[in-house]
Amino acid sequence: MPRYNWPLLPEILRTLFNRPITVQYPFGPLEMPERYRGRVDIQAEKCRGCGLCVRDCPASALELERVDKETFRLIYHPDRCAYCGQCEESCRFDSIYLTNDFVPGTPHRENLTTVLVDRKPEEGEESGGDDEPA
Amino acid sequence: MNDLLGSLFALLVFPGLAFLSTCALAFDWLDRRVIARMQGRVGPPWFQPLADLIKLLAKEDILPTGANETVAAVLPMVSLASVLTAALYVPVGGRVAASFEGDLIVVLFLLSIPALAYFLAGWVTVGVYSVLGGNRSLLQYFSYEVPFLMALSTPAILNSSWSIAEISARQLTWGLFTLPLGFILALVGLIGKLKRDPLDIPKAKSEVVAGALTEFSGRKLALWHLAMSMQTVVGIFLLVNLFLGGSKAIFLAVPPPLAPVIFGLKALTILVLLSTFSVLYARLRIDQLARLGWRVLAPLALVQILVTVWMGG
Amino acid sequence: MTRVTIPIGPQHPLLKEPLSFLLTVEGEEVMESVLRLGYVHRGIERLCQERTYVQNIPLIERVCGICSHVHTTTYCQGVEALSGLEVPPRGLYLRALMCEMERIHSHLLWLGVLSKNMGFDTIFMYAWRDREIVLDIMEELSGGRVSHAVNVVGGVRIDLDEEHARSILTRFDVLEQQVERALELIEYEPTLMARTQGVGILSPEQVRRYCVVGPVARASGVDIDLRRDLPRPPYDRLEFKVITHPAGDVWARTLVRVRETRESLHLCRQIIAQLPDGPTSVTAKRRVPEGEVVSRSEAPRGEVIYYIRSDDSDKPARLKIRTPTMTALITLPDQLRGATMADVPVVLSGVDLCIACADR
Ligand code: SF4
Ligand code: SF4
Repeated sequence: MPRYNWPLLPEILRTLFNRPITVQYPFGPLEMPERYRGRVDIQAEKCRGCGLCVRDCPASALELERVDKETFRLIYHPDRCAYCGQCEESCRFDSIYLTNDFVPGTPHRENLTTVLVDRKPEEGEESGGDDEPA
Repeated sequence: MNDLLGSLFALLVFPGLAFLSTCALAFDWLDRRVIARMQGRVGPPWFQPLADLIKLLAKEDILPTGANETVAAVLPMVSLASVLTAALYVPVGGRVAASFEGDLIVVLFLLSIPALAYFLAGWVTVGVYSVLGGNRSLLQYFSYEVPFLMALSTPAILNSSWSIAEISARQLTWGLFTLPLGFILALVGLIGKLKRDPLDIPKAKSEVVAGALTEFSGRKLALWHLAMSMQTVVGIFLLVNLFLGGSKAIFLAVPPPLAPVIFGLKALTILVLLSTFSVLYARLRIDQLARLGWRVLAPLALVQILVTVWMGG
Repeated sequence: MTRVTIPIGPQHPLLKEPLSFLLTVEGEEVMESVLRLGYVHRGIERLCQERTYVQNIPLIERVCGICSHVHTTTYCQGVEALSGLEVPPRGLYLRALMCEMERIHSHLLWLGVLSKNMGFDTIFMYAWRDREIVLDIMEELSGGRVSHAVNVVGGVRIDLDEEHARSILTRFDVLEQQVERALELIEYEPTLMARTQGVGILSPEQVRRYCVVGPVARASGVDIDLRRDLPRPPYDRLEFKVITHPAGDVWARTLVRVRETRESLHLCRQIIAQLPDGPTSVTAKRRVPEGEVVSRSEAPRGEVIYYIRSDDSDKPARLKIRTPTMTALITLPDQLRGATMADVPVVLSGVDLCIACADR
């Protein structure tokens, strides 16, 4: 291989006449891969309120207010979430999962909190699981 | 009266403050844009240098305790003034505000004032990084200035005139072809003078933060930046005049209205060359620059001078 | 000449993470340097004792922002050994795949940081542009660019299908070209060589005395690499060279790292080609029987060691992490003695500073 003084030059010229690779993010679309771990969502009808996800969440981003088997609320705090996917891994009923929604920053973290499941006895179907509260 | 108006126009509008600052901002943007594209980035929008300037002008101006406020305030103005004065003698697109035999020497002298002001700026603002940056700038000055001066004197010797306008007008073939070595040396010297990558040793960010200007802020920093960018413009114009035949094309006689265009194209070519250099190399160490300056550039410049004298005689 | 004390850090344009160096400088020459650490100590080891084994994985992933996967791998290896779990081969291969891609990304990142610090912005941009290729692949595979959340006790969470593997392989081709170019640069670029050769020299004796590991040790001619010296599956079935260089300066470290990047690419290809079928993980129990274990693996920066003591509960009784950067950091005063101010950024970045994982 020759010892020349500007081995970078060909690459520079190539780059100069190619399109820049910068993604102009706020002005252009940002494609998230399918498996991107974004905002947590739930298939509410599958949730049994077992609290497995709450127990394993490393960031205390999930909260379960449980009265009994049929009355409970699962609350999600995206501002605390580490997007680790542990809840999805822990749930035995394939209920909670991570979408590939990118969660943008906000100055109002209190508005982020969402109630994932709000189960009341009359509208919820019979839960016949043998699951134990955490 | 007319004379006074004429000088005022020359000082403030063309080729003075207004023209030079516009050029400075435009060149600054182009330089950043070209470098960005060479590195695969997009680069800033056209108004970015202006926005930076305005932002800096609006910012709070503070200096550390112990810094000499008056000197610190005067220094950027001195550099700005000397660059502006130098610009008067450099023809732009075939027009020159003032010219006399020997103005090349004056211009070179005026252009080295900012370097000294920069060094002093490091000393009067007392910070460790400032002092270190100032010292480095002085060392750098000694390394590039001699080959730079020697290289720039070769077209003067060849065309037996020390007036920039004269040299530019007398060049039948471009200095680039008659004095290729001189041109390259002048280019390297210019990079050193402008403290551009890869010779941005005095303001190397990872080593001395921002060098001599570390403690400057607000208006003073804005003036410094403006002076530096204007110095780039004047330096490039100088090179175009001395080595690229000013506003003349190679073979064709250019009609006067086209002269500024040709001149501008040449200036942009040099700018792109400078950008390429900054993309191409890593920053040198100060001892490496000194070695390069004294062991390589200065002897080469000497050779070029001897060849020129022989060619001229 | 007067002596001046120049602070580098805790905030300095050179440093991307807080660390403090007090340099005593005479002119441009560094006479003495005092290192201070601890600005990003987060108490992770103690925190781990408060949380369950499962919850610790995302926490440990955050020990280091660059080589996050290898930390969880080492941790999971330890916990698996304690609970006597056998990870299915496919899980092991996928783990190794992530490890190697992480090495590529870490080394390219480092090349960028080094170039940036010596004023070579172009290589910085190119290296980080090319690094984007592996980052994209890792993001597609795991859902995160640097915190992959791939490991679970008992295996991995991700899987790789045929089509995806093919697309990864084509992108590896592009990356390989770029790595070859980078190698050519390192071997021939005059200014880069001028800045890095003969700077920050560590002799093999110093390397042994300070227990330096990883590419820094290998660039001083010390031939250690856990992937070969302690072969775990799948490394026992893969073919790769351990790159060493006798020079011991920053240039040698650059060369070693970029050559290692090439080796890692080679490894990734083999892993994808040999990927066995089967499950990717086994279910782990929450309680880990009493015992203690030392788990080691080769991170991009060298050997990382986890010591875990369990007490038959779902939380570790003690967890100790030794990161490779720590050993390299303490050699810095030695490397800096007699260097010039301009060498400081080169030397500092030469050891691949990762202060977050040194402080934990
Ligand atoms: S992704 Fe992780 S941090 Fe977020 S809610 Fe699920 S378990 Fe908790
Ligand atoms: S683990 Fe699944 S079923 Fe249980 S509470 Fe969480 S989401 Fe509901």
